[in-house]
Amino acid sequence: MSIKAEHLSYIYGQGTAFEQYALKDVSFEIEDGQFIGLIGHTGSGKSTLIQHLNGLIRATEGTLYYNGENIYQDGYDMKALRSKVGLVFQYPEHQLFEVDVFSDVCFGPKNQGLSKEEVQARAREALQQVGLEEKFWEQSPFELSGGQKRRVAIAGVLAMHPEVLILDEPTAGLDPKGRDEILDQISALHRDKKMTIILVSHSMEDIAQYADRIMVMNHGEKVFDAPPKEVFGHYKELEKIGLAAPQITYIVHRLRDHGVPIAEDITTVAEARDAILKLLGKGGR
Amino acid sequence: MDSVLHKMDPRTKLFGTMIFIISLFLANNIAAYVVATVFMVGAIRLSKVPFKFIVRGLKAIVVLLLISVSFNLFLTPGRVIFQLGFLKLTWEGLETAGFMALRLIYLVIGSSVMTLTTTPNELTDGLEKSLGFLNKIGVPVHEVSMMMSIALRFIPILIEETDKIMKAQMARGADFESGNLIQKAKSMVPLLVPLFISAFRRATDLAMAMEARCYHGGEGRTKMKPLHYSKRDYVAYAVYVIYMVMIVLARR
Amino acid sequence: MGIIKASKLIYDYIRRDEDEHVEEVNRAIDELTLDIKAGDFVAILGHNGSGKSTFAKQINGILLPTEGTVWISGMDTADDSHIWDIRKTAGMVFQNPDNQIIGNIVEEDVGFGPENLGVPTDEIWKRVDASLEAVGMTAYRMKSPNKLSGGQKQRVAIAGVMAMKPQCIILDEPTAMLDPNGRKEVIATLHELNKKEGITVLLITHYMEEVIEADRVIVMDDGRLVMDGTPREVFSRVKELKEYRLDVPQVTELAYELKQAGVALPDGILTMDELMEYLLPMMKGN
Repeated sequence: MSIKAEHLSYIYGQGTAFEQYALKDVSFEIEDGQFIGLIGHTGSGKSTLIQHLNGLIRATEGTLYYNGENIYQDGYDMKALRSKVGLVFQYPEHQLFEVDVFSDVCFGPKNQGLSKEEVQARAREALQQVGLEEKFWEQSPFELSGGQKRRVAIAGVLAMHPEVLILDEPTAGLDPKGRDEILDQISALHRDKKMTIILVSHSMEDIAQYADRIMVMNHGEKVFDAPPKEVFGHYKELEKIGLAAPQITYIVHRLRDHGVPIAEDITTVAEARDAILKLLGKGGR
Repeated sequence: MDSVLHKMDPRTKLFGTMIFIISLFLANNIAAYVVATVFMVGAIRLSKVPFKFIVRGLKAIVVLLLISVSFNLFLTPGRVIFQLGFLKLTWEGLETAGFMALRLIYLVIGSSVMTLTTTPNELTDGLEKSLGFLNKIGVPVHEVSMMMSIALRFIPILIEETDKIMKAQMARGADFESGNLIQKAKSMVPLLVPLFISAFRRATDLAMAMEARCYHGGEGRTKMKPLHYSKRDYVAYAVYVIYMVMIVLARR
Repeated sequence: MGIIKASKLIYDYIRRDEDEHVEEVNRAIDELTLDIKAGDFVAILGHNGSGKSTFAKQINGILLPTEGTVWISGMDTADDSHIWDIRKTAGMVFQNPDNQIIGNIVEEDVGFGPENLGVPTDEIWKRVDASLEAVGMTAYRMKSPNKLSGGQKQRVAIAGVMAMKPQCIILDEPTAMLDPNGRKEVIATLHELNKKEGITVLLITHYMEEVIEADRVIVMDDGRLVMDGTPREVFSRVKELKEYRLDVPQVTELAYELKQAGVALPDGILTMDELMEYLLPMMKGN
């Protein structure tokens, strides 16, 4: 039991003519160690939702529990919550500010009031975790490439030793190789450190590859919450809300429509290849 | 909103506001204020802007108003009405304070009428055209007005960005609220550095985009929406003249 | 000669220290020779730092060659006297939609270019109307750009370039900051301008799905031109593309993998329809 949301609603401009639900009656429970993909088009409420999880936004209605404690109760330590639920925003440019990479990563643990030695040890560990070579540590963060800046931003949050790591479109604007490198790093954190990951993304292909549960948002409401294979099966409904399943899902469904007995829950290229080869009698690799 | 005042040339409105402000400083008796009130109420009626929008601007000056009124009320020497310690309420003080309050209130209302009926763009256009003569003494009027209009476009963007940066740093445990003045100032560094860097980046990008669209200063530039005086503007100028004459006549 | 032509183009980013001594030379473009035909829809692919954006800035004279020459419609970009004609001929759209919109109202922004060119007022209005119509943004003409979505902002930026009556539009990663819907919007708009108005489009991107319908795909790596052909030709070389840090659409990748495993499929399958056409008969036969 880690994060539990009960009937969360968030209303913009309450009491004015522009009143609008950014979140509407959203409930879910996220257990320790899950890898969750959060999907929705721009304005679907997914960014608002993740900011609730570390208390940056307070819900208008509903309750949020972290490890069984109501975070809206009097005297709840929000600062401690923020170091347990780490949130990495989309643009690293919004958080990098120090003269060199290493000091920037130290910012989080320093705010936690740790000793100098501990702060530095954590920064070193975090930078290693995101795979940033040591030659960059003394450089100004502003001279790095887009992919490297992302890593520093992620390290800046990792250094606070969060139990849950939320990433808001960590691959936007990166080239395909840079994207794969970042996603692999995140998936390693999930696998090796048993960290709970919430990945916000537009790319179904990315999510299909890594997530073991997908939450789909639309107009502030949670419309799907299931394993990827199940969610992508609803590809027609996904299209109606401006999303799409990975191309592979479509290929599989078209083959099935023509009577080919291929399993319908295939979501990645490798799975599709093996299944097709098997059906053609060539055996999987 | 569409009223005579909305459609009026921004230069006419700018000039009218200036006339009105000058008249407020000339006015020194009740008669003159009556003239000014008629002029102001007339303008408000013409603008069709609901009165509550117009008085909203007054909220900002309430404190200033109270301070200046109380100073004038109690510190003006003259015939004493009553005395409390060193504080003396005088007839003269009452009069000065009253006019002072009226002047401030009218000033704010007058300029609100202009800003509520003129878009920021029209305003910069109007300023650029009316102040064009300053070009001759080397003031870069076109450049300044271009800067104003770009600033108007980017203020909302930068405000939103400030919010995002604050949240990103708060997620890393930054604290923008507690602590003494020095601690607070120090805590602004993680906010200001990314904000400045982003603003510089936007400025470079924008300069490049403007160049790519053949921007090369005000010279040889045409206007999509050139300013034209029409009949209503000439009428307005005639009203201004009559108004000023009446103000001068009404003064004692 | 095509509308855009580069011959042995070299561009170095030079970093100098305080005393103007050269500290570091970074070759962004290395002997690039290229000829683009008027009316084509050309995509330039390459990973971040491959030199593709630097090349875009060479085309309308924002950057000038260190060595070699770039001609736009026969005009040498290094020739100062043509600079405004070149920028008028080859309009440019940039990555960040917010940082290229100057006007506070959509229609005023579209009019910004013609104003700079000294176009008479009546003609500006005609051009603004036509450009907004061409990108499908007429309904938003009185809106503030801040109220638009990313895709809509980029369409306004494209209209702003169209109003200058260019022969060619260069787009430097116009979709990198957009969501999938915004990306589709922008790419569809570009194809329409290319077909209906005959505008030459040079699209710089690293999204593979966006280049499938292009007439020609050019791949850059390390400042050099490394692949050049139709999308089918380029996408049939999956392994090579991956070496250049690029990717292929899932359909193409699946077809390639199946082919590697001995399934008889043609090279460079780009769409699902194509894959079905070849795969279905085989699978039904089995």
